[in-house]
Amino acid sequence: MRAPRWIAAGLLAAALGGASLSARVLERLTPARGRAEQLLYLPNGRHLRVLSLGHAPLLADLIYVWAIQYYSEYDTADRFRYVRHVFGDVIAELDPHYIDAYWLGAMILIIEARDLEGGLSLLDLGIERNPDQWILPYLAAWECQMASRPECAKRYFERAAAVPGAPPITRRMHAALLARTGALEEALRLWLAVLEDPASDDLSRAIAKRKVSEVRAKIDVSALRQAIETFRIDNGRAPHDLAELRRRGYIREVPTDPSGQPYAYDAATARVTSAAGRVLGEP
Amino acid sequence: MRRPRPLDAVVAIALNTFREAVRDRVLYLLVAFAVLVILSSRLLAMVTVGNEEKIVKDLGLSAISIFGVGIAVFVGVSLVFKEIERRTVYTLLAQPVQRWQFVLAKFAGLLAVLAVHVVLMYVTLAFALWMRGATASGLAPAVWLILVELAIVTAFALLFSTLTNPILAAVWTSAVYVSGHLSWSLRLLAERVPPGAGRWACEAGYWILPNLDRLDRKAEVVHGLDLPAGFIAWSTLYGACYVALVLALACLAFERREFR
Repeated sequence: MRAPRWIAAGLLAAALGGASLSARVLERLTPARGRAEQLLYLPNGRHLRVLSLGHAPLLADLIYVWAIQYYSEYDTADRFRYVRHVFGDVIAELDPHYIDAYWLGAMILIIEARDLEGGLSLLDLGIERNPDQWILPYLAAWECQMASRPECAKRYFERAAAVPGAPPITRRMHAALLARTGALEEALRLWLAVLEDPASDDLSRAIAKRKVSEVRAKIDVSALRQAIETFRIDNGRAPHDLAELRRRGYIREVPTDPSGQPYAYDAATARVTSAAGRVLGEP
Repeated sequence: MRRPRPLDAVVAIALNTFREAVRDRVLYLLVAFAVLVILSSRLLAMVTVGNEEKIVKDLGLSAISIFGVGIAVFVGVSLVFKEIERRTVYTLLAQPVQRWQFVLAKFAGLLAVLAVHVVLMYVTLAFALWMRGATASGLAPAVWLILVELAIVTAFALLFSTLTNPILAAVWTSAVYVSGHLSWSLRLLAERVPPGAGRWACEAGYWILPNLDRLDRKAEVVHGLDLPAGFIAWSTLYGACYVALVLALACLAFERREFR
């Protein structure tokens, strides 16, 4: 009767050993779940807010600090999968006015994950909940500008500049972008607004004064070039000088550049230039 | 010889309660608070990016609230029970002291302990912020509302202290604190319950429980947002009236209590 008991015990031990060994081998053979999967256990901020019993901002801070450490681990392959969840659905739900969370989440998405749309959507969420904060549309505008999307940048700069109390740099950046994209009349209007605004600081006013001159010169040169081109089509030749454009009714008067000097005109090449043009990068 | 006024007895017992709490080393919690706030404000520079002051303010205000609730619950629930257990209540009530004066004095004494705590913790927080070049002046409304909340919790702790033993009283007071922060959910539930007794019970629960969630304005204050006009005054009135009602119940319960 003793032998079968020993055999049964031996079989059990062998089965236990076999199960342990095969489990370990399977563990090695199958890929482990990504580290980011642990974020699945981070509940939505709306639920955490209820559980926090009035300490939602502190909980938002703790998760924010934890997120900084988490996203500083560069060896996690799938670390960008839940950025929107962590910053948008958790931290921003716990503390909708936590500007740093929108900012940092968007920077991680745009700069590290190369996901401009994802970053902009997080910033949009922050802008919607904090319409009195100019910094979020300003950051969005910068990111659009860096991504060579001027229309998108224009939209956000305009929004940042419209926030009451926004610093003059928002309007300056907006005006500079408009000038770069060729919307000269609009840029001139904005630079004049900065120049004439009593709330503008000295630096902004000095920059605006210079920019008004440059943009005006650019508008003049552009108008003269257009008039010369029309003259050439009508007459089969370029005008001898700029005064001829005025005499023949192509312009109302010959403009002078911001320094009061006449614009230089080369009849041989039919090109108009100005000293201010050099500042503008004109040939 | 001057005839003692009702308030004299209240002041004397309240002062004694205050001294007793100080002797029980309750104020040691202040040291823990100071270490927590000052250390965390130092540590934050290493582990975070962005506005560190916001985190120091959140941490400071939450710590003031949590430490205060801890004192209100754990000191409050044993206030009356201890006097009965030590039999000092017999000596006291043998004097020309009414039972309502005793209850009121116990409340006033503990509220004074809490007020001193809150003020000292606020000063510590202001110091920690000052070391970072920031100011804590804008946080005063949130600190005041925390004190209003603590007064309500203390009144409940005292009420339960007159009714039962400290363990049960602590559980009940904690339950009031939790349900006070979640009472808004009864409103939501009422909308989903068919009209009738169920809905009526939800609505009644919503209005009867202390609405502690409405008093929590920490986030707005830290972000420098404006509170609605008259909010502090109405909150203070709400807190004062609620405390008066709960204390009246506590006095009633203590009046009916028989000592053997």
